[in-house]
Amino acid sequence: MATATVSTPLRSHAGIFSTRTAGGRMPLTPSPRQRSIPVNLNSSPFTPDKSSHDSQRASSKSVYGGNLTAHLHRSSSKSHHRDSPKSNIARGVSTPRKALELGVSDFTLTGTGVYAKTPSSAKPKKGTLKQKSTKTTINYAADRFIPNRGASSAIAHVGSGKLDFQEKQRPKSGSSEASTFLASATDDAIAALESLSIEDEESTSYSRPSPNTVAYQDSLANACGVSLNTRILQFKPAPPESSKPIDLRQQYNRPLKPAAATAAQFRRRVATAPERVLDAPGLIDDYYLNLLDWSANNQVAIGLERNVYVWSADEGSVSCLLEASADTYVSSVKWSGDGAYVGVGLGTGEVQIWDVAEGVKIRSMFGHDTRVGVMGWNKHLLSTGARSGLVYNHDVRIAEHKVAELVSHTSEVCGLEWRSDGAQLATGGNDNLVSIWDARSLAVPKFTKTNHKAAVKALAWCPWNMNLLATGGGSYDRHIHFWNTTSGARVNSIDTGSQVTSLRWSPHYREIVSSSGFPDNSLSIWSYPTLVRNIEIPAHESRVLHSCLSPDGQMLATAAADESLKFWKVFEKKAGAGASMGGVGASGKAELSKQMTIR
Amino acid sequence: MASSAAAPEKDKSKVHKLSLKGSAKLVAEFFQYSIHTILFQRGVYPAEDFTAVKKYGLNMLVSSDDQVRAYIKKIMSQLDRWMVGGKISKLVIVITNKDTGEHVERWQFDVQIFKTASKSKPSKSSSTPKPTDQENASPSSSAAAPEKTEAEIQSEIAAIFRQITASVTFLPQLAGDCTFNVLVYADADSEVPVEWGDSDAKEIANGERVQLRGFSTANHRVDTLVSYRLAE
Repeated sequence: MATATVSTPLRSHAGIFSTRTAGGRMPLTPSPRQRSIPVNLNSSPFTPDKSSHDSQRASSKSVYGGNLTAHLHRSSSKSHHRDSPKSNIARGVSTPRKALELGVSDFTLTGTGVYAKTPSSAKPKKGTLKQKSTKTTINYAADRFIPNRGASSAIAHVGSGKLDFQEKQRPKSGSSEASTFLASATDDAIAALESLSIEDEESTSYSRPSPNTVAYQDSLANACGVSLNTRILQFKPAPPESSKPIDLRQQYNRPLKPAAATAAQFRRRVATAPERVLDAPGLIDDYYLNLLDWSANNQVAIGLERNVYVWSADEGSVSCLLEASADTYVSSVKWSGDGAYVGVGLGTGEVQIWDVAEGVKIRSMFGHDTRVGVMGWNKHLLSTGARSGLVYNHDVRIAEHKVAELVSHTSEVCGLEWRSDGAQLATGGNDNLVSIWDARSLAVPKFTKTNHKAAVKALAWCPWNMNLLATGGGSYDRHIHFWNTTSGARVNSIDTGSQVTSLRWSPHYREIVSSSGFPDNSLSIWSYPTLVRNIEIPAHESRVLHSCLSPDGQMLATAAADESLKFWKVFEKKAGAGASMGGVGASGKAELSKQMTIR
Repeated sequence: MASSAAAPEKDKSKVHKLSLKGSAKLVAEFFQYSIHTILFQRGVYPAEDFTAVKKYGLNMLVSSDDQVRAYIKKIMSQLDRWMVGGKISKLVIVITNKDTGEHVERWQFDVQIFKTASKSKPSKSSSTPKPTDQENASPSSSAAAPEKTEAEIQSEIAAIFRQITASVTFLPQLAGDCTFNVLVYADADSEVPVEWGDSDAKEIANGERVQLRGFSTANHRVDTLVSYRLAE
């Protein structure tokens, strides 16, 4: 039995210790500690029940075959110690008492337990040798069978120590021989003594079975059916995913102070419930339109079929700004940079500019012959993208308003965004293209990106890195790509798992929020550049069509096909948190945030 | 009961006896910190997710990720119940490679409950045999176990955590994304909530095993064993 031999090492460790005190522990010189042993030892001579014990031991606890052999070597002769374990076991059955007795004394004497702590394969050899040399002096004639402590302890480890112990004892008492009785009494006494020795010493004195022994005992216990009393239970729910891949090398010598702001304890909390919900009856469920915008004056404009409504976030009042003629509908709304005017694109291709304070139309601009699905202001320039794929730049101050025609897209333009400094313009279309234009040369796009596999509506320029553009694709694409617009390189990508309908960067945190259409209908906040999804908010019952940020950058408004307009405090500024990120325009918007209240 | 035998010699006020319930709680708490420590040391979750907490005289790293905390809390709430009921013989934390599904590391905590001690404690606590009677003492495993002070137990536990921390030096580096599972070996008659289900032992094939320290209280003894897959 290969495993039996493996179990020897630890026992022989104990042997080392026993050598120290072996002299004092001779059966005939009882020490106060072992009162009970010597008495029984002396009184119990060799008795017939020995064999029954032996057989019990041998049959049920074959683990100790190894031990027996180890001890047996000593008792018989040195020449035998190279024998195979099997042959030794056989011999062990014939004269086990001595061996087992020795085992017990060994055990009780494991005073320091130093070796027990360091299970190794090298030591055991040494141990056995030492044992042999010292133990030869022991008088075996006086020995008698004493249960090996190891046996009961091993089983106890398996969790059924009591059971086994009783089984062992019953047959003995049944025989009703005086000697048997004594033997069992001895068993008990020894057991008591053993426990004594365990608890008497410092905690470290407890000699643990070597790992392999434990392993073997475990498997033995299983084989014997001991494990029938126990069941292995698993906590079934899957543990939470790790937020990012881990390199252990990094972990083992990481800086004392975690630098990353992504650490869980610094991760900010995001309110997952909307601050406010408004009805948006008649909101057209069309991905290609842009019907929601929030002005610098803290007013929200929304296009609902033929009407444009303006909701004042300061006062909570709603007014109907305009109603288009019956043959058309509002296809896009966009506030001018100062928040005084709103541009309105119509299904006919007409573009109107309205003065919101006065509630009057300032001018109409014609030129497109298809619906104007998207617009963008750059100071006095209004860029309009139409279903035809054409983008016009209008100078709203002059009569001949059309100043440029940007030809690149071959299908409906649904995304258009000026960079905050007005030097670059990004457009996205139903032809799956992203075009990046240099404002100084609008004849051809600076870059045309073909990576998206579906219409590109979501476009957002990074507020803290002017060269960074985020673009999100439609339901077949589902990706957010990040571009360096100076080099034209794609720097990052996220697979969101659902249609990306809009993207907004936070001005205060290094984060970007995306809104999703089918199948999630959610809002996701991503850390940049780690691209970790900080939170996903199940936002609407159907796809989120439009989103816009409040002028202070804290609140996100979303309009969805479920005809509701919801406000989310996704980028709430914590006291002192603003300083951590010198976001572009953060200081300029501080004033606005003071007066902004949403009721 | 053991304590009263030893108490006359010692300063009584200093010996703080742990009840079975208290002992179970202490062991359960130990499990909780072990899980956190192993998750940290073995890089199951990123290091930044962990915050240091003073415990056992050590800086214990505890996850501050809400989801992980909630997950462990759920496990612990049930474990507490089982511990107090004395139903558990082992707690196992298995680290599994996410890609291959292979079990790469297995931390096993063997719990031994001194049943006799707990049973006889209430009745016999005052009538413990005096030292002179010990020859006739009944073979109770804790007949003369001296009561450990709480400080001693705490330092034993601290030693285990030091060993777990030190074990990263010999444990092979875990490659790839890993996840973990918690197993318990419970008595067959224990009540099992729905989140828990039967499982195999998730043993590591041809694993290397290393026995670590253990600790004991008046009622429990806990041994630690880590097995891991040898790198090819």
